[in-house]
Amino acid sequence: MIAVLGLVVGVVVGLLVRPEVPAVVEPYLPIAVVAALDAVFGGLRAMLDGIFVDKVFVVSFLSNVVVAALIVFLGDKLGVGAQLSTGVVVVFGIRIFSNAAAIRRHVFRA
Amino acid sequence: MSNEELPRDQERTGEQQADMSEQLTGRQRLIAGLWPPRVTRAQLIVALLLFVLGLGLAIQVRSNSDNSALRGARQEDLVRILDELDDRTQRLEDEKQRLDDQRTELENSSDQAEEARKQTVEKERQLGVLAGTVAAHGPGITLTINDPGDAVQADMLLDALQELRAAGAEAIEVNGVRVVANTYFSGDAGAIKVDDRSISAPYVFKVIGKPQDLEPALNIPGGVVQTLEKEQATVHVAQADDIVVDALRPAEQPDYARSSSQ
Repeated sequence: MIAVLGLVVGVVVGLLVRPEVPAVVEPYLPIAVVAALDAVFGGLRAMLDGIFVDKVFVVSFLSNVVVAALIVFLGDKLGVGAQLSTGVVVVFGIRIFSNAAAIRRHVFRA
Repeated sequence: MSNEELPRDQERTGEQQADMSEQLTGRQRLIAGLWPPRVTRAQLIVALLLFVLGLGLAIQVRSNSDNSALRGARQEDLVRILDELDDRTQRLEDEKQRLDDQRTELENSSDQAEEARKQTVEKERQLGVLAGTVAAHGPGITLTINDPGDAVQADMLLDALQELRAAGAEAIEVNGVRVVANTYFSGDAGAIKVDDRSISAPYVFKVIGKPQDLEPALNIPGGVVQTLEKEQATVHVAQADDIVVDALRPAEQPDYARSSSQ
């Protein structure tokens, strides 16, 4: 419950306060958000499986974000930033879908 | 009996609970996690991370929606867009330059056409005064010849006209007949015709020219005035600041002569 509240508060604060994102971070924000979403879905699935460990969640969340940003950064330096970020988004999309399928089996038994 | 049954019941409920926990594990855990809210370390950490996620999500969504697509674009895309804009600007500049030139050209040519038209109109007016197709006014004199004895001949009037022309007369009218290059006097005294139109005394010359030249030219000794007065005609010359010569002639197209400049 507290976790869901945290998400809601984050969205509301983001919409109300309108913080300025530093220009350096800006290109990596969308990829980082997708990576974090993947981590969240993975955590939710682990919770439903009963194997949720908060330490693992924290580490996977942060490493996902950092690695995703790193890949995009590297891609930008190599001149294939657009393609690499597309690849990252595709990979995370597939993972999110498979996690969502597992969650669905737990919740709806189907 | 009850002693026997109780453990069985307990066992049964225990089995059921085990079954339930085996079967509903996912949903139960979800519901248990959602309600009642418990402040645990795991919940707090997850809440913090989800807060960060929500923040990033909101920022990204807002920056994508409120600004143009340029905000999230990466460097090479921006460079490409800038290049395209530069190209486009260059092309538009070229086109503007071309259109400006064209406009200047057109303005010049229309100015020239306007100037030529003005000159043509001016020339037409000047020539019209000479040809008698337009009315004229200006300083000049009025020469009135009274002829009680019907003694004035056509050649005397012609002499008077030639004298006036020699003195610089620019537009002349005799008794309502405009005098032009091919004007002629004919007939006998008392029945004089100008360009085949009969006129009778008094003969009135309305002349536009410099009065200070015209009047002495008529009055020189042995000149027009003296000759006429010898024939018992009375001559009266009056200077005026504004003589109106408004007798007109139709413009005639020459039948054979053509302008050689065309």
